[in-house]
Amino acid sequence: MIRFDAVSKNYPNGTTAVDELSLELAEGGITVLVGPSGCGKTTTLRMINRMVEPTAGTVSLRGQDIRDVHAPELRRGIGYVIQHAGLFPHRTILDNIATVPLLLGWSKKKARARAAELLELVGLPAEMATRYPNQLSGGQQQRVGVARALGADPPVLLMDEPFSAVDPIVRAELQAEFIRLQKELHKTIVFVTHDIDEAIKLGDNIAVFRTGGKLAQFDTPERLLAHPADDFVAGFVGQDRGIRRLSFVKAGEVPLREGPVLTTTTAVAQARATDEPWILVVDDARRPLGWVEAAAIPQGGTLADATLTPLGHTFSLVGDSARAALDAALLSPSRLAVGVDVDGAVIGVVDAYELSAVIAVAKAEAAAGTTDGGDA
Amino acid sequence: MNDLLNQLRLVSDWLTSSQQWHGAEGIPQRLLEHLTYSGVSLLFAALIGLTFGLLVGHTGRGAFAVASVANLARAIPTFGLVVLVVTLAGLSTTPVLIALTALAVPPILINTFEGVRGVDPATRDAARGVGMTEWEVLVKVEVPMALPLILLGLRVAAIQIVATATVAAYPGLGGLGRFIVDGLSRNDYELVIGGSTVVVVLALLVQIAFTALRRVIVSPGLRVSASRS
Amino acid sequence: MNDSEPLIRWGWIGDHAGELADYTGVHLRLGLLPVLFGLIISIPLGILCHRWRWLYPPVLTVNNILYSIPSLALFMIFVKYTGLTERTVMIPLTLYTLSVLVPNVVDGLASVPEPVRQAAIAMGFGPVRRVVQVELPIAVPVVIAGVRVAAVSSISLVAVGQLIGQGGLGYYITRGLQLDFPTPIVTAIALIMLLALTTDALLVLAQRLLTPWSRSKVTTS
Repeated sequence: MIRFDAVSKNYPNGTTAVDELSLELAEGGITVLVGPSGCGKTTTLRMINRMVEPTAGTVSLRGQDIRDVHAPELRRGIGYVIQHAGLFPHRTILDNIATVPLLLGWSKKKARARAAELLELVGLPAEMATRYPNQLSGGQQQRVGVARALGADPPVLLMDEPFSAVDPIVRAELQAEFIRLQKELHKTIVFVTHDIDEAIKLGDNIAVFRTGGKLAQFDTPERLLAHPADDFVAGFVGQDRGIRRLSFVKAGEVPLREGPVLTTTTAVAQARATDEPWILVVDDARRPLGWVEAAAIPQGGTLADATLTPLGHTFSLVGDSARAALDAALLSPSRLAVGVDVDGAVIGVVDAYELSAVIAVAKAEAAAGTTDGGDA
Repeated sequence: MNDLLNQLRLVSDWLTSSQQWHGAEGIPQRLLEHLTYSGVSLLFAALIGLTFGLLVGHTGRGAFAVASVANLARAIPTFGLVVLVVTLAGLSTTPVLIALTALAVPPILINTFEGVRGVDPATRDAARGVGMTEWEVLVKVEVPMALPLILLGLRVAAIQIVATATVAAYPGLGGLGRFIVDGLSRNDYELVIGGSTVVVVLALLVQIAFTALRRVIVSPGLRVSASRS
Repeated sequence: MNDSEPLIRWGWIGDHAGELADYTGVHLRLGLLPVLFGLIISIPLGILCHRWRWLYPPVLTVNNILYSIPSLALFMIFVKYTGLTERTVMIPLTLYTLSVLVPNVVDGLASVPEPVRQAAIAMGFGPVRRVVQVELPIAVPVVIAGVRVAAVSSISLVAVGQLIGQGGLGYYITRGLQLDFPTPIVTAIALIMLLALTTDALLVLAQRLLTPWSRSKVTTS
């Protein structure tokens, strides 16, 4: 869909922003360009809509050399979202969103109707239509920025650190919204960020750049974490990439054991007889109530009389990842993570040591799928 | 083009004729009068404008009054004010100097105020944080940072004074405007254009002097182009 | 001046109402047309200076030099070419407005946030359309701030033109001096200030109408 052929960008002062880049971006997916500042990721992005012209090489869009298209025309067919939204302060929200349709010569009525649709699509209330950008919060402005980029329903969307100027809570919200939107729209998206977590969260494919404008690795997030091509990539994805990789293992794949799970009606004597230091107390429906330390239970009676220690949190076998399981294990008083099903009933428990085996398995599976065998 | 050459010849003839350089009606005497009017009024205007500008800028009290005064003052026709002062107080230097001073205070006041007010609050905070007294904050931080705008205010005031002092010849005072006013009443165009040339040269010298002053006393770290307001 | 002469004789104003109105009209024309001409010159000149920054310092220097030349001298220099006409007053006044208007047009264009400019390019605005539809509208508040200063100064400067016989209400200033009679002088000063301040107020109003987006406050919702 978008193809870079030996593309370089050199500046007269001798700096190389992008060095002999060859890359092919698939249609309908999110490709994240990530790297430290000065690595040429933004320059690469801006070469797609000719905001920057390459010094050498060819960029093509759907097989057509983009230099053959008049720049303003090319740009009207490519959505662009930037860090500070860049909304036009002198135009209402609705007119901001209608900008590109109007440039393309749509009638005012049609353009505004389209804009109203988009406003709803990005989750903003209709009454915002008549407001001006400076009346909106940063997160809302960024949503409008996305809506404006979608104005003429362009097949390609370029996003340059669109979520990095807002606070972490709003950022998480916008990211979730963005994933939802993409499920609906299936755009070809090129997304620039310096945040590897964001890249892993959003990208179908990730291109890691190193300083000097060289492509260090182009891979899926899973493979990037499992097999960083070299020390630079390994360093960039971080020391905790082992833990990050757990995000790609579904909690359902985690081996659980039955563990010391007893109902409130169990007699204390029986509980002590299990020889376990901690016992998980559950109700009749096997929903977890809390942990109890076996040695601290008063003699006689049932577990209903015992004082419970809160659970920390459980992980769901449906929907959660192994990373949530590990987190649950680390926070649990008994060092055991509790896995529950959709109804919240306990299926079993697992400890951190057992979870590390999952990482080994994931590693082996990833290795089996490689051709370079570069697993260290 | 011929016309321009003629005009230049006219000016050079006038400037080089010896009678212009001697006596009570010569250029040196008129220039001295002009510089005296201008210098004295600028001095007083600077004293008043800087004092109040720094005070209001530092304390933040009276900001609205300063803005209103500046706005109102710009609307006063300087020519009318000078003529009115002469009509009311008779033809003497002091009332005219007071009028010139009054006209020059607002640009100094407003620019000094804005210069001090415009100092980044974080910088001011940092100055207090390292233990400066209020006086030290003003003298060591706010004034140096406000200097480009303060100088701009002084320059605008000086230019206005020099121009208005020219007009002061109309109701009968001395200064370089005399040549123009007398030339007009006598229909002596040579005198008019010669006098105008001297006034233009003086104005340009004032402009150059302030540009040079700015180079010398404004910290290189602050040398951004201050725009006129 | 006779000590019993009051600062202002109200009767005189009543007697000269019609004439005063005529001179007020002339004064407005002499004061405001230069601002209009100044704007017509400053907008393209400011756009050029914004686009090619090397052009700006020399333009600014020429402006500053023109601004520093006393109006009386500048009028006299033009008398030779344009005679004792209104043009002789309006040309220098136009030149004076440039020293405020050009920097304000340049500053106004520079006040367009970089992300906004980038967004406009990325959405496919051509250079001309970008200036007209995006950058100039955003520059309006700064440009109008300059127009206010220029208009007020211009209106108060017109009076000096009376020395070549074209001073609008300045007529009453010289007249009062000749008759040793303060009423016309006071009246002229008051009317000139009134004109200047009214013009200023109308410009503020115009800005509000032209830029509804700049006064809207940030609301958190």
